[in-house]
Amino acid sequence: MRMTPSVILGGVLALLAAIVATVVYFPAVQQDGSPSEIYRERTAEEEAGRRIYLQNGCVYCHSQAIRAFDWDMGSERIAQAGDYIADEPIQLGSQRTGPDLSQAGGEHPDDWHIAHFVNPRYTRPSSIMPPFAWLGPERIRLLTRYVQSLGLRQADRRMERQNFWKAESVRAYEAGVEANVRWLAEQVPRGWREIPNPYPTSAASLQRGQRIYQYFCIGCHGPIGDGMGPAQPWIYPPPLNFTVLKGREISGGILYYQIMNGITGTAMPYFKRDLESQKIWEVGDYVARYFINQSDANEEPRGIDASWEP
Amino acid sequence: MSEAVSAVVHADRTARAFALTSALWFALATSFGMIAAGYLIAPDFLANVEYIHFGRVRPMHVNAVLFGFVTPGLLAAAFYYVPRLLRAPLFSESLGVFSALFWNVSLAAGLVGVSLGYSQGREYAELPWGADLLIIASFGLVIVNLLLTIRRRNEPILYVSIWYAAAAVVLTACTYALGNVVWKPDTGALKGIPDAILLWFYGHNVFGLLLSPLALGVAYYVLPIATRSPLYSHTLSLLGFWSLIVVYTHIGTHHLLQTPVPTWLKTISIVDSVAMVIPVMVFLINIWYTVKGKLGEIHADIGAKFVFTGTIYYFFVNLQGSMMALPDVQRITHYNNWVVGHAHIGVLGFAGVTALGGLYFILPRITGRPLFSRYLADLQYWLVLIGITGFAVVLTVVGLIQGQAWYNGETLYRTLPEIQPYYVLRLSLGLLILAGAWVGLYNVVRSLYFPPRGGVPCA
Repeated sequence: MRMTPSVILGGVLALLAAIVATVVYFPAVQQDGSPSEIYRERTAEEEAGRRIYLQNGCVYCHSQAIRAFDWDMGSERIAQAGDYIADEPIQLGSQRTGPDLSQAGGEHPDDWHIAHFVNPRYTRPSSIMPPFAWLGPERIRLLTRYVQSLGLRQADRRMERQNFWKAESVRAYEAGVEANVRWLAEQVPRGWREIPNPYPTSAASLQRGQRIYQYFCIGCHGPIGDGMGPAQPWIYPPPLNFTVLKGREISGGILYYQIMNGITGTAMPYFKRDLESQKIWEVGDYVARYFINQSDANEEPRGIDASWEP
Repeated sequence: MSEAVSAVVHADRTARAFALTSALWFALATSFGMIAAGYLIAPDFLANVEYIHFGRVRPMHVNAVLFGFVTPGLLAAAFYYVPRLLRAPLFSESLGVFSALFWNVSLAAGLVGVSLGYSQGREYAELPWGADLLIIASFGLVIVNLLLTIRRRNEPILYVSIWYAAAAVVLTACTYALGNVVWKPDTGALKGIPDAILLWFYGHNVFGLLLSPLALGVAYYVLPIATRSPLYSHTLSLLGFWSLIVVYTHIGTHHLLQTPVPTWLKTISIVDSVAMVIPVMVFLINIWYTVKGKLGEIHADIGAKFVFTGTIYYFFVNLQGSMMALPDVQRITHYNNWVVGHAHIGVLGFAGVTALGGLYFILPRITGRPLFSRYLADLQYWLVLIGITGFAVVLTVVGLIQGQAWYNGETLYRTLPEIQPYYVLRLSLGLLILAGAWVGLYNVVRSLYFPPRGGVPCA
């Protein structure tokens, strides 16, 4: 084969044209472009927030596409082409240094996000996201609007739930400590309320509980459990002060349930994706021993003692 | 060869300008990378400095590496070998120097735009629209110069390096315009899934149709000369060239295997990703047989040493790439640092190291005197080699930790404390690469502009 300039240039350009037609143009014209059942248009504020997301490179750490084998946040919704029809540019991303955000809308209330943007470690102590306080309150507000729209109609349903329970939890908080603690306990199903922590306290379990507390809880509830962690100024109702709970019938089961399931509407997230059973019991017992100063660990009814118990 | 032809004098001002460009941007780009690596281990580091915040400095790093360091470095060698292989002077050295200046201005404008928050938010296609046009124009200037030199050549036969250089710049001018969607200035993007398909078609071809062919052109030029050996096989050159153009161009969608793109397109990308062994092994067989038994000659020429090392990385990065395109493998490797490691092996280990080899091969031949310091060049070689090899190991390990943990159902948040030590290691290894880049800049500047007094070059 004689490689003349025209053979080289003609050849490579013809190949490029043919391949672009096959792998770029054809898929673009062939896609049906119809919206999925969760699709809706974004509001002007959500679009403005999306601009901030694009300009500041959020996509380098946060994907927006859930896979069939994912477990983390958003994994109830496997990505579909119809979810993205208005995204220009699309922000699927190529790396997860932080969690996927395609269904982030409504996972947390707005105040959690604002504290998180000001400094991510306020709400998530192990986070390695850089702080965004420099965006200023207005841009943080818009960015929050965008993040709360991720997931579109599904996010809207979650936001309705957040807003409903936000109002309920604020009312309970403003009714005073006694009423608030009673309200919090009443939201836990009866069975859970009556279960003491079934495992005994040990020096080792308290150390493990403390480690979990430092990775997950300290940003809001603070190092001494008084609810004065660094996130506190941004959050309302404010983080719970554990030190006033003594004698108020806080069972191990209540602690377990609230850590597992979170308190939607407040900044208290669910931790059931992050933490397995043992870790939740142990961090609950750590809170009970150190901050409430009253634990029902290993009290009756506790069933047959597990085989590992000393 | 007639007397007139053999008397061609090469001014090489264009090659010098691109060599300096490359050395300068290598130093800047690795500095950007170091800032980004710093954020990953200490996120409150430089916490509220908007213009170099992680999400802005990362694309500055990537674009400066691709279009500041590697491409101009490989072009410097091309502007050296193209006139020599054609036995004709470059069409216009003035145009060449202007194109290098214009190239620098275009890239700097784009990076300043990203730094100020005008990113278009598409990975590998972040630069704002105005900068996109400038970069396409830069490619245009280079194309004009190279093609008109080819037209005025005195050597009828075009050597394989010429094929690669011409194809790389012409194809990339097209894919750059296409991939950056220059006909839509406000967003620079399509809508929805087709945007992702186009983006990764383009993004992968920055490597496939720009860095790889330019680097192969340099290897095909440098290694036969350094070893004084004829090329092993013309037929393999042909097969390697055409299979590279055909196969590489199909595989961008392997970045999207876990997203809702058409299955037939995923299948094409997987099949062609595996088929990448054809162009790669054809090239490697050709070039490794060419230099067979001549490692001493390669070792003696620091430029050839870099280029040969680049071919070894080419082998690794492509074996790894073919494997990573398999869906079962990708369940573990996708979305984590494994891919970051892969990208560094390809862009720095193969293309970047080859570009450095090109620079050190041409510098003494352009200036007519030895490098300012062979010692510093060797030092840079080892700094970069240890740095990139360490990077590959650390990022692969941390990628496996992340991928396995996620696949087993651990949340991403839970893995953050586990991977922190690896980010520290990665930054430490990055320091070696950073040091290598700055040492290289010093060496290139001294070699180009400061002839030794008294005529005794530094060891």
